Amino acid sequence: MDADRVRSVGVVGMRESVKMLLHYIAGVTILVTGAIHIMSGHFKTLGLIKTWDLYSVNKIIFLAAVLYHALNGVRVILTELIPRRGFSDVMNTVLIILGLSLFVYVSLFVL
Amino acid sequence: MKNNTVKIKFRIFRFNPSVDSSGRWDEYELEVDKSTTILDVLLRIKEAIDPTLAVRYSCRQAVCGSCGMIVNGKQRLACFTRVLELNSSIVTIEPLRNLPIIRDLVTDFSDLFKKERMVKPYVIRSDVEEITKPTGMYLQRPEELLEYLQFADCIECGLCSSACPTYSTDPLFLTPMVLNKAYRFTADSRDMGLYDRFSIIDSEHGCWRCHFAAACSSVCPKGVDPAKSIQLLKKVTISASIFNRVKKRRVELALRPHAAESPI
Repeated sequence: MDADRVRSVGVVGMRESVKMLLHYIAGVTILVTGAIHIMSGHFKTLGLIKTWDLYSVNKIIFLAAVLYHALNGVRVILTELIPRRGFSDVMNTVLIILGLSLFVYVSLFVL
Repeated sequence: MKNNTVKIKFRIFRFNPSVDSSGRWDEYELEVDKSTTILDVLLRIKEAIDPTLAVRYSCRQAVCGSCGMIVNGKQRLACFTRVLELNSSIVTIEPLRNLPIIRDLVTDFSDLFKKERMVKPYVIRSDVEEITKPTGMYLQRPEELLEYLQFADCIECGLCSSACPTYSTDPLFLTPMVLNKAYRFTADSRDMGLYDRFSIIDSEHGCWRCHFAAACSSVCPKGVDPAKSIQLLKKVTISASIFNRVKKRRVELALRPHAAESPI
């Protein structure tokens, strides 16, 4: 057993605890911003929220949280299924690029 | 039932990697009474029926952790499991999962012990002078002892690691046994070694890969609850790595005037 194989922190060098804390925060953020988004679309009285300037900020935060939570979830699953350091670094890079690309594309052209 | 004994059929997994290409199930029928343990049965088979059966055991009283195996689908200690408690006329006995088989019911723990060494399972202190030339002993209050006492009961039988679903997919995962050991020393009021263990326990295959299935705690024969210790380890890791907050500990030294003279 090579300690370095276990010790791998990935390409961004962020500690695993930071990544996972952000994962949990993103999960809670999805619940809050998602609830605001869904309720504003379904209840007439809350529909006013859509006219607020901050509503678009809510959508951007929701998008960022969903992307981080989902892609980090994929990272965790693949880390367990393919526990190789080289693969881990490539996967982290690909997921970061994918996440940033989706964020830019969706926030600029879809929302 | 005759003379308070019952006839039970035992299906035992047999596999010798140096000879066999795959395992087989051998069946034996033995009479057991209410005091007969699985280990008694295996030793009786070894002595009277098949001396080639490989079993590892030592203390026979659930202290050494050598005789872990899967009995009727659940990880148990052979010496600590009475046959009639299983309430089954057919008893299946297999080696522990997630670990390489050396032969029959004996599995290889080298991976677990290597990982255990990586988390430095001992009290780490910065006062080297006191460690090398002790003048006394470190005092510990009862409430400080209670912080890790439950987790110190681990006998390293490996049942938890065998039951762990994460370890079955990720062979680099530190496993509940090792992470419990890391927490046991991290929670010790005399220990100052959290940051020495950090790069291992806060890694991609460290405590964060535990998804709290709690299979480890359900099979632990000593009631250690490794699932709880891993969650507590996550809490300590977050406090230390993100908020840079480590529990401040002031350990008093009870001076022993003759300590320096006595050999360690």
